[in-house]
Amino acid sequence: MKAHKKRLRLLSVLFLFLVVGFYLSMTKGSVETSFANLLDFLIHSDQTHAKIFIQLRLSRALLAFLVGASLSLSGAILQGYFQNPMAGPFVVGVSSGSSFGAVLALFLGLNFSLFGFSLQSVFAFASGLAIVSLVYLLSQKKGIFKVETLLLTGIAAGALASSLTSFLIFFKSESFEQAVFWLLGSFQLAEWTQIRVVFLYLIFSFFLSQWYAKDMNLLILGDETAQSLGCPVSRVRKIFLAVSTLLAASSVSVSGIIGFVGLIVPHWTRMLIGPDHRYLFAYSSLTGGIFLMYCDLLARTFLPGSELPIGIITAIVGAPFFIYLLNQQK
Amino acid sequence: MNWYKVFALLLTLLQLTAIAGGQERIITDDLGYPHVLKNPPQRIVSLAPNITEILFALGLEKKIVGVTRYCDYPQQAQKKERIGGMVDPDLEKVISLQPDLVIAFRGNPLRLIRRLKELQLSVFVLEQGTSLESVFSLIEKIGLITYKEKRAISLVDDLNTDYKRVLKLLTSVKHVPKVYINIHGKGLWTCGRDSFLNDLVKKAKGLNIAGEMPRSWLAYNLEEIIHQNPEYIIVITQSQKDFAEIKEWFVQEAHLESTQAVREENIHYLDEDLITRPGPRIFRAFEQLSRILHPTLFGNLR
Repeated sequence: MKAHKKRLRLLSVLFLFLVVGFYLSMTKGSVETSFANLLDFLIHSDQTHAKIFIQLRLSRALLAFLVGASLSLSGAILQGYFQNPMAGPFVVGVSSGSSFGAVLALFLGLNFSLFGFSLQSVFAFASGLAIVSLVYLLSQKKGIFKVETLLLTGIAAGALASSLTSFLIFFKSESFEQAVFWLLGSFQLAEWTQIRVVFLYLIFSFFLSQWYAKDMNLLILGDETAQSLGCPVSRVRKIFLAVSTLLAASSVSVSGIIGFVGLIVPHWTRMLIGPDHRYLFAYSSLTGGIFLMYCDLLARTFLPGSELPIGIITAIVGAPFFIYLLNQQK
Repeated sequence: MNWYKVFALLLTLLQLTAIAGGQERIITDDLGYPHVLKNPPQRIVSLAPNITEILFALGLEKKIVGVTRYCDYPQQAQKKERIGGMVDPDLEKVISLQPDLVIAFRGNPLRLIRRLKELQLSVFVLEQGTSLESVFSLIEKIGLITYKEKRAISLVDDLNTDYKRVLKLLTSVKHVPKVYINIHGKGLWTCGRDSFLNDLVKKAKGLNIAGEMPRSWLAYNLEEIIHQNPEYIIVITQSQKDFAEIKEWFVQEAHLESTQAVREENIHYLDEDLITRPGPRIFRAFEQLSRILHPTLFGNLR
């Protein structure tokens, strides 16, 4: 049971990182606080510390964790789905589609909320879903579905959505700074309502993908083989596509576009525990959540008194590490 | 003692308790949020440089506890605690300062304003308005919420007197020169119809060559400048040094040789902070611009 041991070891390491990450997220920030302050607050809470610990730090750490987990799960699903290591929420056009919706809402000046979600988020979600449905329909010919076509259509549609976004930003240059924060992602304004919604989507998607994880393993063998082994291929494919879109769009709609996580985290995880989707989904989610939590910690503490868009951190930290891992494997 | 004396006494007592308890008054801010006026604010955070300038002009220096990293005027503002930028303020820092009034401006994202309200901070949001005169109401509103109404009114009076004098001089202008305004450094960014700057140029009796464009800010093109042939080029920059560089570019640009502004070297500098912040200093910028466009008019004034 070598694989089993490997997973157990990874799980304990991840757990350690999770605990340390939460501890650091709670104690580090522009206002200096120590463990003693935290304990003191937990025993007899005061207003100011309650806001800093619960409303600002805990909500950010949790939202970063949930979004990291969602993006990574989405990436793990898409990579298995396309049997292509290049796949990720960016590649199929979800992220670009969602950001287009968000910037469009900004452009139209729509700023009220609906069911605890700002209209901007609703727009992001709807347009992300619309782009993927479009891509999905376009890449289907006479009921036959081609992975290559879907990937290429996804890239094209994504590029179209990105350029439309740039067009809007160019025209409405007053909201430029806001748009930049959206395009590079930020957890600065994390709210508890967002956490609740992202959490619900993540749990739902996680159980659904876990349920079909065995079928995903079969899909790797090719659609025909999978079909002959009793996997309802077309239904499974539709479900996975919908789930991965839901995950990516809900993430983008609360935090803007955060690149790289959905691409690299499933890779790391696969390198560490192997390609079995029954474990890959869960481990990718956990690793992605922890990774993004640390990235957000850096984003808000790296330059005191100012915020870095988190997309910058994920790429700076992620890319070299990813290249290193790839080299190790050779 | 007759009944009516007792009644008068009671009434006075009643009034005294009302004053001691702090009379509440509810007004709304420019986004329509209600704002309760209860006690004069003692700890104010400003989320924009023009707000900071107005607060200082109203003599509230001691009440300001936090400003943005862009708030550099007056000098004393630089000594105040920094809370980050207009788009990315550090929320922890804001809360730790325990402000009883946060004044936001339209450059602050609305999501941010909503978040600040959720954190139970007393936030008052102000809109920029589209004309030069809206600075007056800005000052008056800030005076109202900080209990400096009288000071605000006298500040507005002073500014208005100077402003009116310039306007009066400008009434005798016969020739309205064409102007090209250059902002954001190199790259031909300019201001269109909907901008605050366009209104300023119009009031200074100038004709903004991009003033027909239905936007606030836009990238203009070289051909259009040549075609419009402006008599003045106004370069708005952070410093004289940046200005010298950009002026050099305009002078060197061979295609612009034919325009009157370049031929006569009518290329002038305006301080970006002065002219882009809707605060008390904007009227100084207005006078500067009027002087540039109509040099003979102001010959014997100051």
